[in-house]
Amino acid sequence: MKSLGPTLQFVLAFCVILIVWQTVIVVFAPHPSLLPPPLAVARAFWGLLVSGELLVHTGVSLMRVFSAWIIAGCIAIPLGIAMGWSGRFERFANPFVEMFRPISPMAWIPMAILWFGINEPGKIFVVCIATFFPTLISTVAGVKRIDPVLVHAGQVLGCRSTASLLRKVVFPAALPAMVVGLRISFGTGWACIIAAELVAARSGLGYLIANGMEILRADTVLVGMVVIGILGVCVDAVFRFLGRRLAWGVT
Amino acid sequence: MSTSYGKPISVRGVAKTYPTHSGESIEALRPATLEIASGEFVVLVGPSGCGKSTLLNILAGFSKPSSGDAFVSGERISGPDIDRGMVFQSYALFPWRDVIGNVEFGLEQKGTAKRKRREIALHYLHMVGLRDFANKEVDELSGGMKQRVAIARAFATEPSIIFMDEPFGALDALTRRFLQHELLRMWQEHRKTIVFVTHSVPEAIYLADRVVVMTARPGAIKVILKVDLLHPRDVTSDAFRDIEREIYAELDEKLAKSMSSELSAAAVGSA
Repeated sequence: MKSLGPTLQFVLAFCVILIVWQTVIVVFAPHPSLLPPPLAVARAFWGLLVSGELLVHTGVSLMRVFSAWIIAGCIAIPLGIAMGWSGRFERFANPFVEMFRPISPMAWIPMAILWFGINEPGKIFVVCIATFFPTLISTVAGVKRIDPVLVHAGQVLGCRSTASLLRKVVFPAALPAMVVGLRISFGTGWACIIAAELVAARSGLGYLIANGMEILRADTVLVGMVVIGILGVCVDAVFRFLGRRLAWGVT
Repeated sequence: MSTSYGKPISVRGVAKTYPTHSGESIEALRPATLEIASGEFVVLVGPSGCGKSTLLNILAGFSKPSSGDAFVSGERISGPDIDRGMVFQSYALFPWRDVIGNVEFGLEQKGTAKRKRREIALHYLHMVGLRDFANKEVDELSGGMKQRVAIARAFATEPSIIFMDEPFGALDALTRRFLQHELLRMWQEHRKTIVFVTHSVPEAIYLADRVVVMTARPGAIKVILKVDLLHPRDVTSDAFRDIEREIYAELDEKLAKSMSSELSAAAVGSA
């Protein structure tokens, strides 16, 4: 029952949305090109699914977020550990981080197009920026929060070099915080890739939506939106599951 | 199981001062001099702020003295070392490792082979009565069990010296009494040099070969007393009471009053 609880809640919320949606259709009778009924969207969904188009767009978007997220994580986690560990390095690096952090990743889209055109590197670049900061901030906080007594324990148990201390004590102790950062950053990255694809792409869920709008197919647009929502929830659930298995950061 | 015997510690004029925000400096520990023999069980006792933890942290190598030096077998202490183990009040177990994983940690750093590691870890877990808990997660254990794991972990690397920073301070009186007994048994078997910090006078007398009495503001060694009683010591005996009275007399009158009222409640269980 425990694992069924949250799932049931989502199913319930989904049903409520469908009911409200259908009620709006019945009461206001909007033109189908403005707001198609749920059934029409379901039909469009099925059509796109059977043709394989939907899977391709979804796969492309996921791959972009995934690769950018990995690249950003590979930079943000070591940098975050260094910043959390060394006060001096943090004082040096923090002004740079704080100056770039308020710039929305979306604001980088024009520069990305100038530099990379509408090819893959441009989109990956934008998502990298979107996923970098949440991972970094969370890692820094996680390392700083480590009980100094654990570090001392590591030292008297034979971690002589900083490297072995970081590897054997600091990294595992801060891992739960890193997973939280990675979870949040995947969410921001997922939101960001759609925006990047709306502006400059020939594939991906963002492109599917943008294209649907251009050819006045509101049902296609809505299919794209529904898939984005469902996948967002699913990926988040996977991270939450992982986070629970690393529960030592909470206590 | 091979046993490494303890090493002597020499504390020569070790002092520690901290700078404050206003530019003044706080004297955490006045120059302290102390010779600890190999295999000796020395207990530092005193109220908070008497510098006992400051001294222990210097001996463990976590902080540097402002002046003076400390030596182990004639070698200057310059940083933490696997030959000097430590048991912390807050246990300091690694929550991402299970019980045996914690005990094996130091052995991994020493490069002990996997099989041998397990064997040694199980031996020490057996010694603290937790062999059956080897594969449990740390947060499944009670406070007393956690501290027993920490003790097994400290002994497993076979250090010559073990520092203990109020290790039983967070435990209930009965568990405390039981662990004191267990610790003495392990010490008698292995003859490590042990430096133990506590604020409980009865605990100090129950465990120590010598009690180092410290006073606060500024932190300093007041007097060093030899405890010539046979183990297991009877906390209700006259000889025990005499030493207790002597130590309280050494502590400031005001302080002794506040400490004895605090301790009379815990005295039964703490020794």
